[in-house]
Amino acid sequence: MISLTTGVKFMSIMGLSRAVAAGLALFVAAANAQAAERNAAGAALVDRVREAVIKELRESGAIDRAVDAGVDRYVERQRAEAAQRERRQADARAAVMRPVTKGRDHVRGNPTAPVTLIEYSDFECPFCKSFHPTVKKVVEESNGQVKWVYRHYPLDEIHPVKARKEAAASECAAELGGNDAFWKFADRFFELTPSNNKTDVDTVLPQIAREIGLDEARFASCLASGRHDRRVQEDYENATATGGRGTPWSIIVSKSGKTYPLSGAQPYAAVKQLVELALQEK
Amino acid sequence: MKRHLNNLQAAVRQVFVHPSYIALAGVLAILAFLLAVWFPNLGLIGDVFSDSNAPLTAKLGIALSLLGGISTNFSLLSAGYTIAVAVLFGITTAMIVYLLKQRQVAAAGQNIAIGSGGVASGVLGIGCAACGSLILGAGLPFLGPAGALAALPLNGAEFGILSVALLFVSLLLISKNIAEPIGCALARTRNAQQP
Repeated sequence: MISLTTGVKFMSIMGLSRAVAAGLALFVAAANAQAAERNAAGAALVDRVREAVIKELRESGAIDRAVDAGVDRYVERQRAEAAQRERRQADARAAVMRPVTKGRDHVRGNPTAPVTLIEYSDFECPFCKSFHPTVKKVVEESNGQVKWVYRHYPLDEIHPVKARKEAAASECAAELGGNDAFWKFADRFFELTPSNNKTDVDTVLPQIAREIGLDEARFASCLASGRHDRRVQEDYENATATGGRGTPWSIIVSKSGKTYPLSGAQPYAAVKQLVELALQEK
Repeated sequence: MKRHLNNLQAAVRQVFVHPSYIALAGVLAILAFLLAVWFPNLGLIGDVFSDSNAPLTAKLGIALSLLGGISTNFSLLSAGYTIAVAVLFGITTAMIVYLLKQRQVAAAGQNIAIGSGGVASGVLGIGCAACGSLILGAGLPFLGPAGALAALPLNGAEFGILSVALLFVSLLLISKNIAEPIGCALARTRNAQQP
């Protein structure tokens, strides 16, 4: 009897346990289902809010304005960086450019002119030949506002031997006859010679020395000595250091020291306008 | 060659009957020309426009006056090929755009490749206008400013001439694609032959 009662009790406990387990399972399933529903509802709500916000931003033009502002900021930043880069390059150019000195440089025009045009030139370059009268005209018409400084930039690879020899010859002319003799030599040389390494230096150099009134024997001796070769090389190195990549290479310097690099044989109008721009720089 | 020239004539007629393509070719040719002539002085133009207090008219005056460099800073040969490259670049690009619009992407791609070679070569040629080359001088500094050019018989004009040749070849190929479009020929049927 006892065992029967115990058995019944045992059966009841088992049934209760199963019922509790089934209830728990149902509860968990229901809870999960509810959570999933809540998540889905939450996600849908987030999507609806997002769409509404985007729609509102789009319709009000706020997105466009934000994108425009971002693009403007980017362009402005790029522009500022480019300007800064250019300023750095100009500063670097000004820093490496050898200062103009009366004893060292050949100066044409008013020595105290506010604007200086420094030309790095090659006597065999046809573009330097055509640029020479252009700069001459600018200086002559400037009423003492521009001075012209001539420095050597012989391109040995294109005009081997001759360009450097002619540069040294012009230095001999300056040594024997001063600044005026240098410019007379340069003017006459560009008038007489065909450029592009076609100059007969052995004939032309003594001829020019004679024409401009130099002592031919001393001129020949100076040229043979090679004593100006180093100076020509220093000019060449200064030309490349300032950014020269071909001839003629010019740098226009304002009174305040601002530099304008000019590459090639540019027309009279361009040189004149650049000089006027440099004159306006305080 | 006669066939190529006929194709060119037919393609030019077909494309440039639309004023928009004439405008596109013209604008591109002008831009290419401006870039070529201003190229040696892009730094100066940047300086003048970004870092000068001068009025805009003065700045524009300088930029425009530098265009006169085509007669003072270019030899006859280099001025000739610079203008030719600019014109061919404009025409070729307009025709490539026409091909792309006709959905002939493969043919356009081939011409873009050849045309790009022509333009790249032209850019190298630009720097050779004055004594010394800007591009080669900057790219190969160990050879000196004009070192790379000294080895060339025309001192760098070769690049300009090559550029004109490549752009012209590109133009002929693109003309062929326009005048003789690639497509499957319709099979001739008996019905088609008998009206």
